[in-house]
Amino acid sequence: MALQIIEKSDLAFFVQNLMDHFQLEGVQSKGQSVYGQAFFYGTIRSPAELCLDFDCTVMPPKKYFLPPQEALFRFQTGPSPACFECRPNKPLVIFGIHPYDLKAISQMDRVFAAGTPDPHYLARREATILIGIDPTHVAPRSFWASMEAAVVSSGFDLMMTDLGANYIVETGSEKGKALLGDYAKVRPATSDEVRQRVSQRSHIADMGQKRGLTFPKREIPILLQHSLTSPLWEENATKCLSCGTCNLVCPTCYCFDVWDDMELNLTQGQRLRRWDGCLLSDFARVATGENFRGTRTSRYRHRFYRKGQYLFFGILDDVACVGCGRCAAFCLPDIADPVEVFNRLKEKLN
Amino acid sequence: MEKAKVAFFDFASCEGDQLQVINLEEDLLKVVEAVEIVSFREAMKGHSDDYDIAFVEGSVTRRSDEARLKEIRKNAKVLVALGACATLGGVNLLKNFQEAENVRKFVYGDKAFQYETYPARPLKAVVPVDIDIHGCPINRHEFVMVFKSLLLGKKPEIPNYPVCVECKMAESICVFEMGMTCLGPVTRAGCGACCVTEGSYCWGCRGLVDNPNADSQREVLAKYGLGLRDILNKFRLYSGFSEVAQ
Ligand code: SF4
Ligand code: SF4
Ligand code: SF4
Ligand code: SF4
Ligand code: SF4
Repeated sequence: MALQIIEKSDLAFFVQNLMDHFQLEGVQSKGQSVYGQAFFYGTIRSPAELCLDFDCTVMPPKKYFLPPQEALFRFQTGPSPACFECRPNKPLVIFGIHPYDLKAISQMDRVFAAGTPDPHYLARREATILIGIDPTHVAPRSFWASMEAAVVSSGFDLMMTDLGANYIVETGSEKGKALLGDYAKVRPATSDEVRQRVSQRSHIADMGQKRGLTFPKREIPILLQHSLTSPLWEENATKCLSCGTCNLVCPTCYCFDVWDDMELNLTQGQRLRRWDGCLLSDFARVATGENFRGTRTSRYRHRFYRKGQYLFFGILDDVACVGCGRCAAFCLPDIADPVEVFNRLKEKLN
Repeated sequence: MEKAKVAFFDFASCEGDQLQVINLEEDLLKVVEAVEIVSFREAMKGHSDDYDIAFVEGSVTRRSDEARLKEIRKNAKVLVALGACATLGGVNLLKNFQEAENVRKFVYGDKAFQYETYPARPLKAVVPVDIDIHGCPINRHEFVMVFKSLLLGKKPEIPNYPVCVECKMAESICVFEMGMTCLGPVTRAGCGACCVTEGSYCWGCRGLVDNPNADSQREVLAKYGLGLRDILNKFRLYSGFSEVAQ
């Protein structure tokens, strides 16, 4: 389907229509912090609540597919044991996802489908429609351009770009096409507008170059190969609070912990999972008490290998960091920034 | 199967933690049904010294408290400390950092000589404690979790990660970005980061995680403008009994 145009004056109509027919989630400002607006994803209850010119949200849209906590199944013990499925399938539209977060979702899709597919993640993903938006602002710590995530050509149902006078929309799937057809007022884009989109997108990529890697991204796995014993790991890790923030705010961190919660009658219960993070001190502790990553340094280092190397070969063929900069922005001792760390490792190696 | 016998006790405290138990609403009935409660001054009459599990609230602030606590320890198979006063010494510890005479006069005026007192301390400074239910006050859901674990004979899973984890899960704005400071990065989670979610910051009422990075936390607090005295005061509000605050 050719590129379409939604006039700015027709945006509220589209949003209202989506609200009427789906649960609509999107970016909202949750207040002013000392650094600027704090943006979060939440349920949109009126078109005016939806913000499309945000720089970056505090938390990524990951929670829609991997909630902070969820029930995997319910069970009953005793003479007639039984198990009951909890399958999520609530249809959802998420309006306003930046390319780097779309890229992160595509990576998570591959991870959760590989090996033993994760039915809960996949069911949620299947029931969700993604509307992307190209950024108009860059967050201070973002570096998505150098992670090749300034622009995406797949991984969305609709992709919008703000052209000033209107939005130009690319269709990425049948679902997206139906959404436009059923709920939006559109017209085909003129060849002028199509050209405008190209220049707008290269402008965005330039904006995103303000900070980034000093070397090509694909060299990260090799760089890490040679950096296992770098003194940088310990130097930074002494300041690590083991707070897990860098994991929890990351759109490509997927770890969770699983446990059983019994009811007070002690015969029924549910198996739950909740977010975990490799920076937390007990992450690699096993039932016997042994902790396989008992030091801050080993945990701190692990995250960079997980982002830069472990998923590269075989699973993603890519670095599992999309350059959103959230970990950098929210790490209180300011040691979690992948750009800082990778660039410094590179310097030390040269 | 015979029901476990449960007793509640209190030392120097505001009884806010026992109140949390009474506030369990529909779960309270199920709790009461699952066990036999033999002593609970805040909720019922009667008392017996025959119990398996003792929930003890409050801190030890008098030498004469020690004998009573040791007696409870002797009677109970499992002793659970209930709330920050019992697990850490709690706000009662604040007096330890001031001149004892002044504190006595301030509280009891010219009757000060009639009242016995000594530096406040958590239960575990006097007797071995099996389980700590942290918080000022405790989190009701955590109480129920520990309660169920005891009935199932399981070790309760008390979080050993900091409040920041729950703060992120609740999608709160970090208060360091709002011009405030916070003890969340070194404080044991389990409260759902309720203070931050409600617009305040973490005071550290659940005590420190097992291996807090206090040096880094100090640096962070200093970076955000806190002087040494304020930093110490922050740690001392609840964790005055730990090394970090000494
Ligand atoms: S956010 Fe920073 S301090 Fe917290 S675990 Fe990550 S690296 Fe450590
Ligand atoms: S590692 Fe940091 S910058 Fe990279 S995707 Fe995760 S949060 Fe974003
Ligand atoms: S811990 Fe808090 S709620 Fe509990 S007794 Fe002490 S002061 Fe009261
Ligand atoms: S507000 Fe406090 S608990 Fe929450 S993330 Fe910030 S430092 Fe951690
Ligand atoms: S946020 Fe901090 S002060 Fe508040 S209940 Fe939790 S541990 Fe206590």
